[in-house]
Amino acid sequence: MKALVVDDSMTIRRIVIKALGMVGIQDTVEAADGTEALSAVNEQDFDVILLDWNMPKLTGIDTLRSIRKAGKTVPVIMVTTEAEKSRVIEAIKAGANDYLIKPFAPDQLAAKVKNAVPAATP
Amino acid sequence: MSTGTQTKPRGGGSIDVRYVNPFIEAIDNVFTTMLDLKPQRQTLRICPSEATGPQLTSIIGISGHIHGVVALRFPPDAAKALAGRFTGIVPTEVNDEVIDAVAELVNMVAGNAKAKLDMDPPLQLGLPTVVEGTGYRLKYPTGAAWLEVPFESEAGSFCMEITYSAE
Repeated sequence: MKALVVDDSMTIRRIVIKALGMVGIQDTVEAADGTEALSAVNEQDFDVILLDWNMPKLTGIDTLRSIRKAGKTVPVIMVTTEAEKSRVIEAIKAGANDYLIKPFAPDQLAAKVKNAVPAATP
Repeated sequence: MSTGTQTKPRGGGSIDVRYVNPFIEAIDNVFTTMLDLKPQRQTLRICPSEATGPQLTSIIGISGHIHGVVALRFPPDAAKALAGRFTGIVPTEVNDEVIDAVAELVNMVAGNAKAKLDMDPPLQLGLPTVVEGTGYRLKYPTGAAWLEVPFESEAGSFCMEITYSAE
């Protein structure tokens, strides 16, 4: 299984990758902004995408809209500080499968991934 | 609020301290969840006009119904220790990992606080910036006062600085 981890913070990318390991996902690709993420999505298939909201160049919500517009159905979990209910609704309407608010504990992220990708196993 | 003896208000404006509590709560939430630390808040005070000694400051702008700046200021050793809490390995110098870690901390603190403030439309956050140096001070053009909230933690002491104006 392969995951795309999109966040402009390398610290968060490392924490997310560590959490992915908890559900047996070792194959990961990192992107530091939305444009890098779209390039990766166009070149490779992923089983799940972990997507930050506030990033340079292209925000996570616009990245998500582009992914869905391209017809990609890969599960996308927003991992973000944007915690207002209106933001969550906006993301779900744009096609997010789930939403995790920072700060988070690694096992919370692992549970979200397991829910979005049932084939993921500890 | 104690102003201390060496402190001098910066800007000369006023600040509604009710808005500060969500940021203090956010410090507790972020540090507990992400770093397994329980920082102890010290006395809130008007910012000293200039902090001394080497420091690393992560800064993020807020806009919307209130607009201003939130900053976290760390001595280098505390910043390295906090970065080590994230990754499991304490860096020996202030490198990109440390810069990234303190930037993400202020991002999460501001994000958590803005959710607690729960304004409609939601407040907007900028992207964090990190400044490294000695003897500098932060300024913001509104003339609002700066508040400083010092914390003590196992990783070392640090301060949150905040200024904003409400519409």
